[in-house]
Amino acid sequence: MKVVKNLYRDKLGRASFIFILLVMLLGVFAPFIAPHDPLAVDMKLRYAAPSWEYLLGNDHLGRDILSRMLYGIRPSILWVFVALILSVCIGAIMGFIAGYFRGNVDAIVMRICDVMLSFPIYVITIAIVAILGPGLGNILIAFILMKWAWFARIIRTSVMQYVELDYVKYARAIGRSHIHIIARHILPVTFSDIAVTASSSMGSMILQISGLSFLGLGIKAPNPEWGMMLSEAREVMFTRPELMIAPGVAIVIVVLAFNFLSDSLQVALNPQLRKPKNRSGLKPFKTVLNEKEVAK
Amino acid sequence: MGVFIVKRILITVPILLAVSFLTFVLISFSPMEPAEAILRAQEVPVITDELIEQTNEKLGLNKPFIIQYIDWLMDCLQLDFGDSYVKNESVWQLVGPSFFNTLKLTVVSSLVIILFSVLLGVICALQEGKIIDRILRTVLFVLTAVPTYWLGAILILFFSVKLDLLPTSGMSGMKSYILPVIATSLGYIGIYFRTIRSAMLNNLNEDYVIYGRSSGLSEKKITMHILRNSLQVSISIFCMSIPIILGGTVVVENVFAWPGIGSLSIEAILSRDFPVIQAYVLIVAVAFVIFNMISDILNAALNPRIRNDNS
Amino acid sequence: MGGSGLITRSAGLNNMFLKRKGEKIVFKKTWLMISIFVILSVISACSTSKEGEKEKSDELTYATVKDINDMNPHLYPGSMSAQGMVYESLVENTEDGIKPLLAKSWDISEDGKAYTFHLREDVKFHDGEPFNADAVKKNFDAVQKNKEKHSWIKLSTKIVNVEATDEYTVKLTLSEAYYPTLEELSMTRPYVFLSPKDFKDGGTKDGVKGFHGTGPYKLTEHKVDQYAIFKANKDYWAGAPKIKKITAKVLPAGETTLLALQKGEVNFTFTDDWGTDSINVEGMEQLAKTGDYQVVRSNPMNTSMIVANSGKKDSPVHERSVREAIWHAIDRETISRDIFSGTVKAADTLFASNVPYANVELKKRDYDVNKAKEILEEAGWKNSEKGTAMKKEGKPLTMKLYYDSTSPSQKAQGELIQDSLKKIGMNLELVGEESSSIANRRTTGDYDLLFNQTWGLAYDPQSTISAFTSESSYLHATEGIPNAEQLYQKIEDVLTSTDEDSRKALYKDILTTVHEEAIFIPITNGNVTVIAPKSLNGISFEQTQYELPFEKMYFE
Repeated sequence: MKVVKNLYRDKLGRASFIFILLVMLLGVFAPFIAPHDPLAVDMKLRYAAPSWEYLLGNDHLGRDILSRMLYGIRPSILWVFVALILSVCIGAIMGFIAGYFRGNVDAIVMRICDVMLSFPIYVITIAIVAILGPGLGNILIAFILMKWAWFARIIRTSVMQYVELDYVKYARAIGRSHIHIIARHILPVTFSDIAVTASSSMGSMILQISGLSFLGLGIKAPNPEWGMMLSEAREVMFTRPELMIAPGVAIVIVVLAFNFLSDSLQVALNPQLRKPKNRSGLKPFKTVLNEKEVAK
Repeated sequence: MGVFIVKRILITVPILLAVSFLTFVLISFSPMEPAEAILRAQEVPVITDELIEQTNEKLGLNKPFIIQYIDWLMDCLQLDFGDSYVKNESVWQLVGPSFFNTLKLTVVSSLVIILFSVLLGVICALQEGKIIDRILRTVLFVLTAVPTYWLGAILILFFSVKLDLLPTSGMSGMKSYILPVIATSLGYIGIYFRTIRSAMLNNLNEDYVIYGRSSGLSEKKITMHILRNSLQVSISIFCMSIPIILGGTVVVENVFAWPGIGSLSIEAILSRDFPVIQAYVLIVAVAFVIFNMISDILNAALNPRIRNDNS
Repeated sequence: MGGSGLITRSAGLNNMFLKRKGEKIVFKKTWLMISIFVILSVISACSTSKEGEKEKSDELTYATVKDINDMNPHLYPGSMSAQGMVYESLVENTEDGIKPLLAKSWDISEDGKAYTFHLREDVKFHDGEPFNADAVKKNFDAVQKNKEKHSWIKLSTKIVNVEATDEYTVKLTLSEAYYPTLEELSMTRPYVFLSPKDFKDGGTKDGVKGFHGTGPYKLTEHKVDQYAIFKANKDYWAGAPKIKKITAKVLPAGETTLLALQKGEVNFTFTDDWGTDSINVEGMEQLAKTGDYQVVRSNPMNTSMIVANSGKKDSPVHERSVREAIWHAIDRETISRDIFSGTVKAADTLFASNVPYANVELKKRDYDVNKAKEILEEAGWKNSEKGTAMKKEGKPLTMKLYYDSTSPSQKAQGELIQDSLKKIGMNLELVGEESSSIANRRTTGDYDLLFNQTWGLAYDPQSTISAFTSESSYLHATEGIPNAEQLYQKIEDVLTSTDEDSRKALYKDILTTVHEEAIFIPITNGNVTVIAPKSLNGISFEQTQYELPFEKMYFE
């Protein structure tokens, strides 16, 4: 478990990991932690300033902002995380199939990926929202539909590298089943690539999905979500700009934590990255391709 | 090189076809029956089944699916995307100008991104590990985590309201570009600058630099070498950022009321104007594919290793 | 630099040293580049910021959430406030009744079937064409050719013939007496006049070639989704307006409008003809406090309401008890006090009692959540589990409420109502859409509940009521009630009745029926709100929320 050790040694990575875990737990246990009902309307408290009872103040319907922030973790982070895991799983399966078996299967899978990756994510989400109507579920569907292709491609490349390794060739030669080879020999070594890719996508996905909620295409009222809270705050940003602080800062910090974690993971899994002494001229270009994903 | 270009273009054609087909299929799932929606748009008061039948006939909606697709594709190639359900105009009249508005924002943003990424990347590479490098890296890293819409709102509050320097929104003259461009580019600068920085660092340690130095090449020449190599990366970033930004301006356009294709698409969703949505999806996806193709070709032209790698 | 090159050469293999040297050189260059760039950008920023908009004292720039759209006055997609500046009708509806406009006088025949209008002789269209009886006839004919579209305005079904009896006299013949004729002729559309030269194929229904009206302003430039410029008509028959230029600038979001107002990018705004109040009351007050702006509100003009689609058979809203329960679950006082800061009054009936014929005794349905629950339970709706929607015959009590996505106040009201309804076990799903899409739903009947408003003093009650029977308006909302046919007959009767007493009696019946059936659930009595520069005088209102008399405004 060198990886864990490496990660543990990286202070920032460790802090990020703990922070993310904490935020997720807060989201899971929101009903027990939140001081108030996030949906309880009380017009007397409309736009009330922060008080001891309502630490972050109240929104346009007098609802407790802190409780809404806590409940908002669920759609803003937990559901995004679930969508990410799902698309990584689909991507991994397709990537393994393509990279391991090669040939026609590979060609077909890759062509599908090419087509999927020809649509910018916002565009396809807008198309799907137009057909199925606004809603967080529909946006997540759109993301899963699109993102797997990205993961499939990366995982395929990674699988292809390992298939060529001698011990895999040996295992094949002695007639081990494909499943056995994949599970025993390839999955463990490609896991690191999968983890890095997935973690680097998380930050951008949080930003994108909250952006869609901000546009009013995501979660429906009255459910709390950070992007939607920002869009509500924006309606009064002239008179009460302070309402933009809590959800905005929360998004920045969480995304930052995911980005730090992803960086640390990359280093932990691939320690030679620490010294930027890479000689290949191709490398920077590849990094660019990778970072394309991070882009908002 | 010529072979590579031809190959790359040949790959693009089937992808474009697949993209257009997928767009067509997607929108044909729309919950509104096109004939009825068109009659409504024409404000025909009483819509009978007969009338719907007639309209279907007229629009060729009774033909087999694949024929409908081909007809539609042919129309699209002539920029005929049908008429808007909501506005009294053809879809191209709406989508065309707003697409170019988005393109303007995109190109200006890409230029700014590349300018600052290179500038900051070079500074940090040369100051590796020093205070400036650290500060810049931290600040830019944080910026990649800032939601564009939040950043946009803050920029408006600060520059337009507090300082009263720039217009709050809309597209009116050069000044109105500044805030949307900043909001669009900051995040990307944070990403690409890292690439440039590591490319620069690599270059500084490249054999040719060391060799050049040892064989007495002037620093000026070496710097030129390094910059030229970095230029390669810059151009590929520039080319690649155009399609990415183009596909993601929706949020920025919304915040700054930019009359672009992203704003139009949101408006179309909220007014259930399916022909506009269809045109939006198709045009942006096609532009995305084509810009990606151009960027690949340019990259290959600049970097022979990729060319060989791909072939 | 040459020196350092020399050192490089002589120092030979000392890489570390060299590297640092090289760094410094490049570093100097970069700093130079940065400083040049920064200086340049600062200079350019400063120079551009100085040429900022100067406030000219004869120009208004107003913010609108949507483009003015198609200005064809004989169709409906366009902005009515913009059309109101460019086009005029024969007569004008004012607080004191119908007054002359393009017609200086008129005679009505004994039987009420013939109207003879004597036109003004000094009017010209913006393109120089004379406004005369022939132009009036051509416009009327163009409108009538497209009759189906105007079915909401009952006059269109009554006009038999339009005849130019001499150059400035027009005779309008109706199939039967129709009492709101002059009111309907005074409306912003469709009976307004476009230069016949702009007609396409002798008509207007397939589009027009230009937008030349007779009004105080000419449309001179229009950039879709950005702005439209109107310039004063120097030759306006009633004297050129004092405000020389009016720009309609599209600003889709309310808060941007507020910022733009504060910065002077726009200097005027009003609750526009789509009924959107994109600016919150608090923001307005803050703006007024700056001293640069004034907020002017009209008298109560119309009623904001939720329309319940009784005609949607598969939805719970088809049931009267459900509609009544919603009525009882709306806390109008809180809405008026907290969401609108007391600028509008709670409404208990579809029409305020100052609307003609609407002073009718109707049972008041108070805000009473328990009563709402009782009504539902009586009707057989049951709570199976706590916290879930009530059910009846396995069908959950769930509905969709559509609101205008550009109106934050509608969203807030929706959320408030959603919350009270949730407490009694009714699930309301809020869906924000563009006003055009909501209008489309109203026409097709594809909705459970939607926000709407009555059309204003010039239209209430006659046009709003006749719209109950019109497919393009409220037909779907009204058709699901048990005695719908009877209701429609009464509406037909009241509009053609010539006897004041029977009219009163019929109106009473009609208003009682729709009230009992709880189809139109009133919320507040709305008004038109204008935000204008402090120095702007002469701000007044029409009898409808759809227009503003810009030509009467002037700067001190």
